[in-house]
Amino acid sequence: MTVVALKQISTARNGVGAFILQCKKMDFHYCDWAGSSKGMNGFIKSVLPRFAAAHPQIEFQVSPRPSKHPVIVGHYINGKKKTICVRNLDPLQVLKKAELLREASGEKLKRTTKPVTSSNPSVRGIWSPFHGEGLKV
Amino acid sequence: MSRSLLRSVLELRTPVSRLSPTPLLPIRARLMHQTSQIIEPSPVAPESIINNTAVKQPPQQTSTSTTPPPSNPVHQQPSPLSPASLDPSIGTLLPLLAAQPAHYITIHIHGRPYLVTAGDQLRLPFKMPGVVPGDVLRLNRASTLGSRDFTLRGAPYVDERLFECRAVVLGTEAEPMRVMIKKKRRCRRKRHVFSKHKYTVLRISEVKVAKLGEMEV
Repeated sequence: MTVVALKQISTARNGVGAFILQCKKMDFHYCDWAGSSKGMNGFIKSVLPRFAAAHPQIEFQVSPRPSKHPVIVGHYINGKKKTICVRNLDPLQVLKKAELLREASGEKLKRTTKPVTSSNPSVRGIWSPFHGEGLKV
Repeated sequence: MSRSLLRSVLELRTPVSRLSPTPLLPIRARLMHQTSQIIEPSPVAPESIINNTAVKQPPQQTSTSTTPPPSNPVHQQPSPLSPASLDPSIGTLLPLLAAQPAHYITIHIHGRPYLVTAGDQLRLPFKMPGVVPGDVLRLNRASTLGSRDFTLRGAPYVDERLFECRAVVLGTEAEPMRVMIKKKRRCRRKRHVFSKHKYTVLRISEVKVAKLGEMEV
């Protein structure tokens, strides 16, 4: 009898028990000189301290990126990242983009038609014609 | 950038600050901060709605026409149920339903039914305003509550004291960009219309049937 590793007996379901925000890190890149970074610079000066203080579960990193458009990058638990260019946006619009990254799950966008995704087995079981009262012909 | 704009930006931070500073806090600790005003019905109690619409209530149905409408349905604690307000068959059959392990429930959000079990992910067909990830919603509209062998059907809704269903807001998802090409016949011009909808994703964290011990006075 060989030793067999245990199969995974449960799948992680965020929100059942503990809830963990999927966004783990956000990078803010700006340029001091370029005009397209004007709103981003104002966002970093005025809005970002509060935004970062309200999200202790996210790591925030601010770094210059000279002669490029300003960019926000969100890193997610599943290893993926999302990048949004925020050129020529004002601080309020940049804040909306940051909130979008915060609320995203990191997954690739998919078109789904069913609202409910379930990994549980069917509660009432599968219907069988051989059980129950039967059908009189 | 003007000072007033800065000030308005600083004032805008209320929804973000609602997120708890400790992410791994037990969910129960934040139940009091739930933003359930979106899902909750209008101050008109469901009982009065039933009385207005349904003409005659059959005895099997679970509507509570005799109970006084709760004053504040949002933060209403599950009060001990009086057997007189409910159908007598519930008293005998609900413990049997609760004893079976798995339950399903058909919850209604904005009038749409969703058949869910505990642990399911629910993608609403709209973006719910005023919620942030981690919020807990108490869903109190259900038309069906069942286990493997028993089903409790509401008319039109199950009494909200008979079950407890909670959902956690996971975040907002979007769909891939849709492109629709508008084209008229015999004309070369084509117009591309883009749309991208956003959806709020919930996780059903709890589906619980009320204990009969709390019901009997």
